[in-house]
Amino acid sequence: MTTRILGIESSCDETAAAVVADGREVLSNIVASQVDIHRKYGGVVPELASREHLRQIVPVVREALERAGLGFADVDAIAVTHGPGLVGSLLVGITYGKVLAMALGKPLVPVNHLEGHIHAVLLEAHAAGREPTLPAVCLVVSGGHTVLYDVQPKRSNGTPPATSFRYRRLGQTRDDAAGEAFDKVAKMLALGYPGGPVIDQLIGAATVAGALPDADAVRFGPTKMKGNPLDFSFSGIKTAVLYYVRAHPVLHPEIEARQAALARGERRADQLRPLCSTRTLDLIASFQKAVTEDLVSRTLAAAEESGARSVLVSGGVAANRQLRRSFQEEASSRGLDVFFPSRQLSTDNAAMIAAAAFPKLLAGELADAQLNAEASLPLA
Amino acid sequence: MTGSEFLSRSAEETIAMGRQLAGRLNPPVLVLLSGDLGAGKTIFAKGIVSGLGAGKEEEVTSPTFTLVHVFHNHFKVYHVDLYRVEGFHDLETLALEDVLAEPAVVVVEWAERLSLRTDWPSVHVLLEHVDDNTRRITIS
Repeated sequence: MTTRILGIESSCDETAAAVVADGREVLSNIVASQVDIHRKYGGVVPELASREHLRQIVPVVREALERAGLGFADVDAIAVTHGPGLVGSLLVGITYGKVLAMALGKPLVPVNHLEGHIHAVLLEAHAAGREPTLPAVCLVVSGGHTVLYDVQPKRSNGTPPATSFRYRRLGQTRDDAAGEAFDKVAKMLALGYPGGPVIDQLIGAATVAGALPDADAVRFGPTKMKGNPLDFSFSGIKTAVLYYVRAHPVLHPEIEARQAALARGERRADQLRPLCSTRTLDLIASFQKAVTEDLVSRTLAAAEESGARSVLVSGGVAANRQLRRSFQEEASSRGLDVFFPSRQLSTDNAAMIAAAAFPKLLAGELADAQLNAEASLPLA
Repeated sequence: MTGSEFLSRSAEETIAMGRQLAGRLNPPVLVLLSGDLGAGKTIFAKGIVSGLGAGKEEEVTSPTFTLVHVFHNHFKVYHVDLYRVEGFHDLETLALEDVLAEPAVVVVEWAERLSLRTDWPSVHVLLEHVDDNTRRITIS
């Protein structure tokens, strides 16, 4: 018998709903992004986010069911993200999920957003006919999170995807998330929002045009930290970019020109690239290299320390092409299998929430009407 | 009120200054942190939260994404970031009124964006870049 779970996700700036069968087969996956609304602020504005979620939640859920060819009665359970995230945003999905579960008499499964990201990788692996060998190390890297987990099977309710996992946090950022550093650097240089994709595309476009940026042009000192060597820190690199910009007034006119272009709505990489000097492209290439090298080296150190057999990389920054390349190269040279979600499943979505809910539903890990939003909900 | 001015030559010194200030804080109190990107606001907040015994230094991270982090000791310590907050309606959704409903220590980054009215005593901390590793910290 097939178990169909309707997943709902509203922790940040995407309103998403999806139907996943048996934790594996994505029947529908609808995401309404608010990126255009938040762009002019250079980040998610919580008040606007909650209001947008309210506007989108009903049509998004309806579309997810339609695309799956199902009615409300055909769904076996409702899964909803209850943290971490923006409380006002989370509450929209939670409240809707609760009411739906109650009205339909279906079980309500609470899912941690970070566990969802881990399942996004597993969904993709299943689709490709691969299965990560456990234990694994998982890096969740996005605008709000940069955290490393050791992933072990907890108990096997049969074979994957019904397996429950046990998580241990190995390291996390001490200051800014990696995606936050991309956003802040892009804001400083007037490259638009979100920062990660535009920096990745600008470097890619320059490379295609035969003007390969020099990623060694600007050297960022190594991140010095006491304590856990698997912790990250990106605040220092962000500040180093700020100092570089201040020390090079030659960059200021082009920053103003790009600000004007962005104000005209010209925010595609091919529109911005002619407004970027070689110095700017070298700077962002150096920044991206420093961040990706740091992410890769600490993740692989974590894999070695925990005896991992596979590396899972998830979250919005997992879509970065350079990050994917260096993970592939470095991991395979160490005999580790590395897994990414598709671009579509890298960023926030509800398919990963419905997939993560499947083993929980089987294990009876359900919520009642008391379920509340938890802004800093830890996974481990 | 004139401020006392300090020079910090490293992140460790900035944390130590946050810890020192923590020793003089009694709830209810607002600690309003101002300063440019990378000036060390989150670092200073690490000192305050750990100095109050409410959390470890490494647990105090940038709240830019979720806007409010909460730590506990005998009282609550809130770490708020207004970097992305635009205007009064946003402050309302942060539920800062609820935060201010019981005596707590509320540490606010990008405090110049705070337009909340309260009769709580407040400490202003301005962090400024002097050079790569040096920051001027003014407490008033």
